[in-house]
Amino acid sequence: MLTGTADVQLLAEAAPSLDAYFREPIRLDEVTLFQMVMEMRNGAREAVLPPSLHPTIPPTLSMQVWQVGESPWGGFRMAVARVSCRGGVRARGFTTAVAASTERACQGLRDTFGYPARQADIQLLASYSGVEAAVSVAGDATFEAYAIDPLPMGPDDVQYTSTLNLAHVPAGLRLLQLDFDVAPARVERLEAYLEVFEPAAWGNDRLDPYFVVTSSLASGSVTFAPPRFLLRPDELAFTGTETIAGPA
Amino acid sequence: MKFGIFFELSTPRPFSREVERAVYHNALEQCRLADELGFDHVWAVEHHFLEEYSHCSAPEVFLAAVAAQTRRIRVGHGAVVCVPEMNHPVRVAERAAALDIISGGRLELGTARSSTWTELGGFGVDPDDTKKTWDEFVRVLPKMWMQDEFEWHGKAFSMPSRNVLPKPLQDPHPPLWVTVTSPGTELDAADRGLGCLGVSAAGYEEQERRTLEYHRRIALCDPVGGVVNDQVHTMNFLYCHEDYRRARDVGVPMVTAFNVANAHLYWTREAYPTRAYQALGNAGAAMKPKKAPADDPSVAKGLPEGVGVGDPEHLIRTIKRWESIGVTGINFLLNAMEMVPQQQVLESMKLFAREVMPAFRSAAQRQAPVYAPAAPAASRGGC
Repeated sequence: MLTGTADVQLLAEAAPSLDAYFREPIRLDEVTLFQMVMEMRNGAREAVLPPSLHPTIPPTLSMQVWQVGESPWGGFRMAVARVSCRGGVRARGFTTAVAASTERACQGLRDTFGYPARQADIQLLASYSGVEAAVSVAGDATFEAYAIDPLPMGPDDVQYTSTLNLAHVPAGLRLLQLDFDVAPARVERLEAYLEVFEPAAWGNDRLDPYFVVTSSLASGSVTFAPPRFLLRPDELAFTGTETIAGPA
Repeated sequence: MKFGIFFELSTPRPFSREVERAVYHNALEQCRLADELGFDHVWAVEHHFLEEYSHCSAPEVFLAAVAAQTRRIRVGHGAVVCVPEMNHPVRVAERAAALDIISGGRLELGTARSSTWTELGGFGVDPDDTKKTWDEFVRVLPKMWMQDEFEWHGKAFSMPSRNVLPKPLQDPHPPLWVTVTSPGTELDAADRGLGCLGVSAAGYEEQERRTLEYHRRIALCDPVGGVVNDQVHTMNFLYCHEDYRRARDVGVPMVTAFNVANAHLYWTREAYPTRAYQALGNAGAAMKPKKAPADDPSVAKGLPEGVGVGDPEHLIRTIKRWESIGVTGINFLLNAMEMVPQQQVLESMKLFAREVMPAFRSAAQRQAPVYAPAAPAASRGGC
């Protein structure tokens, strides 16, 4: 059984802090969500995950680029790099890095969801013929991709697995499990092409997305459910899972 | 009630050629013992690239060895992946017929379409197409076996008229099955007159629902072959020991290890948005211990209902329950990643045969050939 080998203390250096967990669902409106799935080679398979998580075979990296019209932090764009993994037997994505377009969004995403967000310039252009996505920091491109030939899909045809964000929470350093539900008005599958990916900018220089599987585009609203589970980053989920108590 | 053994040929890390050799040879020894003890079937899967979980990529070769080393147990090719990038349908028909001949007419042929991106991506298969190609395969295989001149102009493949040789020993052809992982596949099986070969462990309630629907639908089927196979088999685990607690101590880690290895595969739905794959995984999702929240990452600590791990009395009760809901056969995984020492696996099989099997049929029945030749489809009522 393979498990992650990343140094938790090194990972913790980028982990945000949460003073409390949100207790009511948080809804984001006018969302356009582009998700691109890419296979990685086995060299990064265990090295990018904390010891509590198991890699998938093959390992994959998914890049999510969000455009959000309305949220508690106003309109913003966000890009999330996630490595596919398993918490116990459950399908998950471990967040390695996040960029957001505004300082207000960065703060909100860090304080509320535990996303390790840093500010960047983010573009997401979705048309009826395709998608262009780009992220840059101080003028240097860290991610560029485009997708063409959109094929309409049903609202349940795209899978968004739960996200695990490493964060300092009231219980200590934990992986916070984030579940969100997408209510899309439009879903498409597209043929995607990766043009630029700077691994160091996305949390680990071993990330090597070399084979694009596919991509999807969804537009609609997204609701984040109040978190229910925490996972100790250095202990397998079977014993290292903790439940977040509901409101009294 | 039929009893089978079921092989993924799961292999522990660190991988080595010696470890793989041991896995294969232990499995063959289990097959020889199963033949002596009165088990009815040996099933072997077809999987590719599934590290740890299954190193069984050439089941027809493994099953040829089983056929040569046994005298009565039926050999189940369970299941051949019906996508042309992996298996051309002519090659499936040829290999199956040859295996039927050398086994003395003991072949069962399962059909499947693969559910992991690990496999489909490795062969460059478009996940949108696998249901369609599976459907085409199951319709042409019986024709290849029953016709001296076969030609086909389809979507998965086309070919001019040829005589596909050899023909299987069983007349009109070996029983055909469909592996059922996703809910609803049992209906695809029923509509085509194919046996329902469960490969993910459903609970009693879900299996009863599937079985009722299957039997209702197969009564109205339009069979794709020359014979209707209306059996419902499920997959289970087996570890039998006189001491119930000892059985659990050995069996629970084995079941958990299997489910964890299964969960680490990369499911097609996770990688590729498509209407053709609506389930995210199989065993990990299906094996929910009672009272556990569905999304709890710590799930898999316990043992789900209906699992064949326990003392003989417990197993008889468990199997009676499966029988009562219409299951006609259970295929047991005997080990996972070689966690259970080979001698213990063999002892578990012997105890099962001695103490559990007699509750379901006599010693004479256990040594008899498993099936008489099936009746042709035309003579079956309702089809």
